[in-house]
Amino acid sequence: MEFLGHYQLYIVMLIVVAIWLGIYWYLFRLDRRLRALERKQQG
Amino acid sequence: MRSGDMKRWLLSVRGIFLKDVRSELRTRYAVSALVMFVITTIAIILFSLAHEAAPPEVLSGVLWVVIFFGAMSGLSRTFVMEEERGTAMTLQLLAPPSAVYFGKLLFNVVLVVALNAFTVILYLLLVAGFVVRSADVFALTMFLGSLGFASAATIIAAIIARANTKGTLYPVLSFPILLPLLVVVIDATRSATEGAPLAEVGGAFQFLISYTVVLTTLSYLLFEYIWKD
Amino acid sequence: MALRVTLGILLTLVLCAGIGFPLSQNPQHWYELPVIPGLEEKARLIFFHVPTAWLSVVAFLTGMVFSIRYLRKRDPLDDLRSSAAAGLGLTYCILATLTGAIWAKFNWGSFWNWDPRETSIFVLLLIYGAYFSLRSAVENQEKRSTLSAAYSIIAAITVPFFIFVLPRITSGLHPGSKGDPDGAGPVLQFTMSPNMRVIFFASLAAFTLLFIWMFQLRVRTGKLEMERELQQAP
Repeated sequence: MEFLGHYQLYIVMLIVVAIWLGIYWYLFRLDRRLRALERKQQG
Repeated sequence: MRSGDMKRWLLSVRGIFLKDVRSELRTRYAVSALVMFVITTIAIILFSLAHEAAPPEVLSGVLWVVIFFGAMSGLSRTFVMEEERGTAMTLQLLAPPSAVYFGKLLFNVVLVVALNAFTVILYLLLVAGFVVRSADVFALTMFLGSLGFASAATIIAAIIARANTKGTLYPVLSFPILLPLLVVVIDATRSATEGAPLAEVGGAFQFLISYTVVLTTLSYLLFEYIWKD
Repeated sequence: MALRVTLGILLTLVLCAGIGFPLSQNPQHWYELPVIPGLEEKARLIFFHVPTAWLSVVAFLTGMVFSIRYLRKRDPLDDLRSSAAAGLGLTYCILATLTGAIWAKFNWGSFWNWDPRETSIFVLLLIYGAYFSLRSAVENQEKRSTLSAAYSIIAAITVPFFIFVLPRITSGLHPGSKGDPDGAGPVLQFTMSPNMRVIFFASLAAFTLLFIWMFQLRVRTGKLEMERELQQAP
């Protein structure tokens, strides 16, 4: 990892942000499906 | 409460306490098992120490480990035995929850004080290197610590008596609740081995008393929900 | 909807700023963070360790509040809320313990030291573990809800002791313990630079929003499950 030098930190940052966006996407999808199921319950 | 009600309540508490004492003395299985448990645990410790000198600070902690597991073996009986014998529901009908709680708490207090006294005497006699320099600090620590133990252990016993894996669940639930008590009491015991005067350990005693009071009050408030089916 | 979008953008920004902003000895620009002697790059952990630790305690107290409500009104929804809060609290607690252990390794030499604050987060972990062990050991739904509610209230008593009392009366490694020459530590004394403070509080807000959202999702899922069970029962 030595050769990455200065950019090490930014790589970590991008990986962490990518993981977070993945989690966010999952939660958002869950939210949408829940809303669909709730609407079906109402009707 | 009118004085007549109060007297009846106290009689209930005493009745439940005596009932538990008598049933334990009648069979004596549980009491002798507890005694053997303490002896075995101290024997294991002596064996693993194998003439190595452990400093008194370490031995103070070890003492409370023995006490903790002794308490875990013995203090749940008072509720678990009601479930095992099927007498829980009858007891619910016969006595108000608060009387049941205080009766069984009293039983556990007597049991744990006796058990700890036995443990401490054995420990002092058999474990070389555990020398107590302030006897008054030590005695007060043991007594107040035992009270605290009883107050926490009794309510958790009431909770697990209704669960499935009672035996293993009991220490798991009790340990986080007892941790503040253990931290303070081990530190105070250590001070007793170092010869600290009573005044220095005053803060610890204040804590032990308030711990017992808080836990007993909280248990009294919650007990009715736990006990009633 | 607006809150969800805010959360998404906010936490992304916090991650970028917290991890990406460069350190410099003499911060000239708004995007430069000061170098804290002894900590340097690892100081970034404070943006993530403190919020997760704080939220795991908040989650626990939230669970306790719903437990009290359950005991008074016996509404199964309150028990659902209590266990949802506890589940999230456990996750945040694991994160806090891990980030704390990493911090400890870099700053004080080893992953674990039984410093009072470390012990308290560990105790919280034990409490959560005990809570879920209890729940899985009781089959009857009402008994399960009642017993776990009672336990979470009892366990709640120990939390203030560990978080506030113990670190002050025994000396420890964490900032704010007795014997720390700097006093109450960077958070309480606000010795962070202004832009660090912004990132820190933004992180706190972002993780709180995340907690609220995940909590709602769990409760909604649980509600749907409950209703489906009711419909399936003949």
